[in-house]
Amino acid sequence: MSINNSESSVKILIVDDDVDVLNLLETWLENDIYKVKTCLSGLEAVSQIGIYAPDIVITDLYMDGMDGMALLNQLHEENPLLPVIMLSGKAQIPEAIKAMHLGTSAFLTKPINKAEFMETVRRVTPKLTDKSILNEFTKNIIYRSKEMSDIIEMASLVADNDVSVFISGATGSGKEVIAKAIHEASSRRDHRFIAVNCGAIPEQLLESELFGHEKGAFTGANVKHEGLFQAANKGTILLDEIGDMPLALQVKLLRVLQDFEVRPVGSTKTYPIDVRLISATHKNLEKAVEKGEFREDLYYRLKVVPLDIPNLASRVDDIAPLAEHFLAKFSKNNKQQAKKFSPDAINYLSSMPWPGNVRQLMNVIDLCATLSKNKTIPLSLVKKAVHDDPIHMQTLREAKQAFEKGYLLSVMRITHGHVANAAKIAGRNRTEFYKLLNQYNIEPAAFRDKKNVEKEVH
Amino acid sequence: MSDEKIIIQVDPDLEDLIPGFLENRKLDVEKLRAELESNNFINLQSIGHSIKGVGGGYGFDLMSELGAAIESAAKEQNSELAREKVDQLYNYLQRVVVEYA
Repeated sequence: MSINNSESSVKILIVDDDVDVLNLLETWLENDIYKVKTCLSGLEAVSQIGIYAPDIVITDLYMDGMDGMALLNQLHEENPLLPVIMLSGKAQIPEAIKAMHLGTSAFLTKPINKAEFMETVRRVTPKLTDKSILNEFTKNIIYRSKEMSDIIEMASLVADNDVSVFISGATGSGKEVIAKAIHEASSRRDHRFIAVNCGAIPEQLLESELFGHEKGAFTGANVKHEGLFQAANKGTILLDEIGDMPLALQVKLLRVLQDFEVRPVGSTKTYPIDVRLISATHKNLEKAVEKGEFREDLYYRLKVVPLDIPNLASRVDDIAPLAEHFLAKFSKNNKQQAKKFSPDAINYLSSMPWPGNVRQLMNVIDLCATLSKNKTIPLSLVKKAVHDDPIHMQTLREAKQAFEKGYLLSVMRITHGHVANAAKIAGRNRTEFYKLLNQYNIEPAAFRDKKNVEKEVH
Repeated sequence: MSDEKIIIQVDPDLEDLIPGFLENRKLDVEKLRAELESNNFINLQSIGHSIKGVGGGYGFDLMSELGAAIESAAKEQNSELAREKVDQLYNYLQRVVVEYA
């Protein structure tokens, strides 16, 4: 028997309407030193949760009265991190995928194999004390503050679990960095992580970008296009700025999340997908729901585990390590000698409001590193850099150009680099369209090779 | 049907549970026969499903297979096949001998 001390006090609640299944699992677990309580129904389990406070719940899927899925929902309303292992006598893959996406830690079919069962229980046992996992998770995230530490711990706990994560935070606060870290710490790490900025893709193209389209689905769609959900199959998709998604598309996204299949534009066929979804926004979605701009059912479906990243100014302890990290990175990338900030320069950086958050801090540090001729960066130079880059707010012209570039990239991806079709969609003639592509250094050939199609979507 | 003993090796940790477990399966056979009499395929399917789910975990793989066969026959409303499988389960329970190893 191999067991470590941290497992010796793990409390497990087993729920099944078959007393022989309860007896069997209880015996296996108690012989392995777990503490066990059994319940014959979902309702009995709900009444025991507050009293027994289990670390893990193991439940049958099909039970009279409250079934396993309803029990899971009720348990996760109280504690979205509680590991739940679902058992079913029917080996139905869609049920298993659905259960996993709704936050089940594992899905096992009956008859249950002892070795597989015990291994699964060990795997989902909460790893609160496992610092090595936390270290692995945080290797690419720089922080020292208690506020970020709490968020990182929560994110690391949900990483290896398909539960939907909803990241909120101001622009530049590092939402994508957290989403990427969750992907890297999950069992999906060997598959793709695709980030989509829903606000940067025109409404008419977003559906095709996400779900794909059939040849001839609309003017210019001369080639079948695989959407990003299919491209991210078995991996993770980050829907950034989800608050900007049009209402009509929100309905379709909700359907995808309920059925775990996508239907490309113009297709009668659906394709199964197995994607972990992380969504993010800088908007207050609760207010958007109140105003009727965002669907309430989708909001709750996305927000199973909410992570709210605080503004940089409210986590002052993170500013100095972040500044030092960005400075070292700049020096390394530009093959410069290592530089450092003077103590008063660091104090000054720590006292600034940083309305543009971590992204603004990075811009300021890059500017300091570029302008500095000496090894130590003085306060005067830092003040100048902060002044020169007050918020790093885009001008209207810069914002228009960013949108135009995003639009062109989308339309080129969808048409697989077919300039005539892309021009048709954009409502421009070919000559004008070529000029636009040249202006943004967009090379149509890069979109003709399927392997290059995904890349980053901004 | 044969009356030769079927020896099943079971995890010694389960020794206390086995008599009650086998008694419950004999009760299942009685229930299955009653449901067959009344052609209640829903209950037949449900009991077959339970037997399928629990047998293999205790080490009785053939019991799980017979449970699955009863579930399947009930689903197809094939009372003849269901009766044949219930009889096989009864026969299996008569012949089974447990060794703890």
